[in-house]
Amino acid sequence: MFLRRQAILFLFVSLLSTLSIAGGVATMPVRVGVLAWDDMEESEIRWSSLAQGLNQRLSQQLPGRVVELHHLDLEAMTQALQAGRLDFVVTNPGHYVTLEANSGVTRLATLVSGPLTDPGHIVGSAVVVLDSRSDLHSLADLNGKKLAAVSPDAFGGYQLAWVELKRIGLDPELDHPHPLFLGFPMTRVVDAVLNGTADAGVLRACLLEKLEQKGVLRLGQLRVLSPRPDVAACKVTSRLFPGWAFAAAGQTPPALSRDVLLALLSLPPDVVGQSWTVPADYHPVHELLKELKIGPYAFLRETGWDALWQRYWPLLAVLGLVLLLWGAYTFHVEHLVQRRTRELRQLLDEHRQLEGKIQAGQQQMDHLSRLSILGELSGTLAHELNQPLAAISNYARSLIRRQDKGNLSTEALRQAAGEIASESERAAGILGSIRAFAKKRSQVREVHDVVALIREASSLMSGVLSRASVIVVSHELTEAKRRVIVDPLQIQQVLLNLFKNAWDAQQASGIDAPIEVAVAREGERCLVTVRDHGPGLTPELEAHIFEAFFTTKPDGLGLGLSICKTIAEAHGGELQVQDAKPGLLFRFTLPLADAPPAHEMEHV
Amino acid sequence: MSDHAGIPLIHIVDDEDPFRRSLVFLLESAGWQAIGYGSAEAFLQASPSLSSGGGCLVLDVRMPRISGLELQRRLQGSGSLFPVIFMTGHGDVELAVQAMKNGAVDFLQKPFKDQQFLDAVEAAVHLSLKRHAADQRCRDAREMLDRLSSREWDVARLLARGMANKEVAGQLGISDNTVHVHRQHVMAKTETGSVAELARLILHADPDGLD
Repeated sequence: MFLRRQAILFLFVSLLSTLSIAGGVATMPVRVGVLAWDDMEESEIRWSSLAQGLNQRLSQQLPGRVVELHHLDLEAMTQALQAGRLDFVVTNPGHYVTLEANSGVTRLATLVSGPLTDPGHIVGSAVVVLDSRSDLHSLADLNGKKLAAVSPDAFGGYQLAWVELKRIGLDPELDHPHPLFLGFPMTRVVDAVLNGTADAGVLRACLLEKLEQKGVLRLGQLRVLSPRPDVAACKVTSRLFPGWAFAAAGQTPPALSRDVLLALLSLPPDVVGQSWTVPADYHPVHELLKELKIGPYAFLRETGWDALWQRYWPLLAVLGLVLLLWGAYTFHVEHLVQRRTRELRQLLDEHRQLEGKIQAGQQQMDHLSRLSILGELSGTLAHELNQPLAAISNYARSLIRRQDKGNLSTEALRQAAGEIASESERAAGILGSIRAFAKKRSQVREVHDVVALIREASSLMSGVLSRASVIVVSHELTEAKRRVIVDPLQIQQVLLNLFKNAWDAQQASGIDAPIEVAVAREGERCLVTVRDHGPGLTPELEAHIFEAFFTTKPDGLGLGLSICKTIAEAHGGELQVQDAKPGLLFRFTLPLADAPPAHEMEHV
Repeated sequence: MSDHAGIPLIHIVDDEDPFRRSLVFLLESAGWQAIGYGSAEAFLQASPSLSSGGGCLVLDVRMPRISGLELQRRLQGSGSLFPVIFMTGHGDVELAVQAMKNGAVDFLQKPFKDQQFLDAVEAAVHLSLKRHAADQRCRDAREMLDRLSSREWDVARLLARGMANKEVAGQLGISDNTVHVHRQHVMAKTETGSVAELARLILHADPDGLD
């Protein structure tokens, strides 16, 4: 029941509307809006033949319907269209494209005129200058000059010239050339060029030729700048674009549009040779408007940087300020971080240096404690060795006594000889332990600068003795030739011993002379000599100098040189002494770091 | 009392066995009789006679537990007549001074030459023999004098001081004749032939006997 009621209602409404349309068509005029670009009257005159022609043709298909021409400017036409007060519009290509985009009009036909017959290439601009202006040869010469045109809205009368200027980097909008808009008719532009008000003027295509034809202008009085070679009919500066458009409004019934189109196409050319033909492709016009950012593409202008700046500069300024502050803050933080990093690095460096010093100190401590351990050990060893040596001596002397007295019994001889043998072995065992002590570190082999080792030992020496002798080091070796493979502690021990001996020798005889250390290369090895200016040695002393527990010093243990000898031998060399007259010269050699490895292995 | 009268004995106390043995061997080579001890305790345990005959002690200063100096101190009150020789491997002056103060006769620093050692031993033994002889004389004199009665001792002392019989009689408050009788007895008991001999005997018994 519900459905049926709806169906009835629908039918009724449909009927009503059909009736109303049929009635409307019968009485309503066909409203055609025409762009009056210059003057209403001029426009009426211009388009009167069109109105007449259409009325004639349409009266047959649409009896009773009258074509009304509304002469409107750009603004009014747009408003009328949007209000639905127009069925058709006739307008210039630029405006048509704008309306097509904004008001949904559809082109039906394109106007062609005069010598130009291709509907796609009808409208163009000619930029004219006085022929006498020898300084103006091309559009580029217009920079800084005055350019006359009818109106910024004029398509052929301005915009086409504008886009050509823009393409070579000029822009009247930016005042080069300076634009002068003189209004219609276009002869004002011609006048301005002629009387020098403007340096150049923009005319629509073929107007110049027409004016020359009429005799208004002398032939060649005006010259077209940068004439395009591809257009033969008239001289033009710009490219050619489609002609004026005849377009139907969005709501216009297709049937009416068809009738009007048929009528238009059947119209003969009017008195100025204009006729309507199939609609052209207005795509190039779109491109042009897009390039100029006008019409439907005016929004591009608004999103351009200039427009954005105009509209948003306070926001941008604030944003910029914020960015600036942020940047400054970041910079500050970065600066702080760098400073802290630097400070930290400095601290780390100091720490590392301190560690290095501590380590160096530790090594010296090791060294000194090693020496003192050896010293203590020597004390104990001396005592330990005293006993067997004294026992041996006692037995030996006893045997001599008994022999002298003639009461040496076989039994006593056996006892004494047995004791002597066992005590000798005991002494040897004690000495062996010294050797073992000296050999304990023989595994350590490091590459060192021998001169640096000597300097270290020298500074150790001066650190221990308050009135230490000056130690002079001389050598002629490059750093690479001074690198030796040694146990640095042992070598310093040897050096310290030799320095101490030299110092003792000189002190004992009251000589104040420097201790001379020399480094040289000897074959595949590094030779080190230490010389003092002491009293030297007697041949007898020389024979025993390297023996353990042999000493000429009242408080000496006689271990130093014997250990030094052991160390020198552990390094593949030999510790030798020779009389330097005056003084004594000790020499030993060390394996060089840059010698062939096999050679070193032999010694180590 | 005088069992080993003629043979001096040298006692060596050192914890270093081979060295001690070598010293014993050395002393024996020189004709001495020597005994070695490995420690002060071993020596005290053996407790050899140190008053009879001749001899000496050779002590190592540093020994574990009881040192040489301590052993010397312990022996001081025991009437030992044996001189002490110290040995040390350390040459400690302070120890040497202390040892000499305590009556040591010599201080040898190891290692020492055999002759040095033997000389020291010989000197010490000689000293011990002299000490022994003096000791013997003293004993003999006291033995003689012990035979005297109290009154005879009084008379003997006064006579030894060089008094005449009369003076002695006056001093003691007795008659000259009584003094003469006592004098006869004293001379007989002490087996002395003169007042001078008597005086020497008294001094042997006690160096201060005539004060």
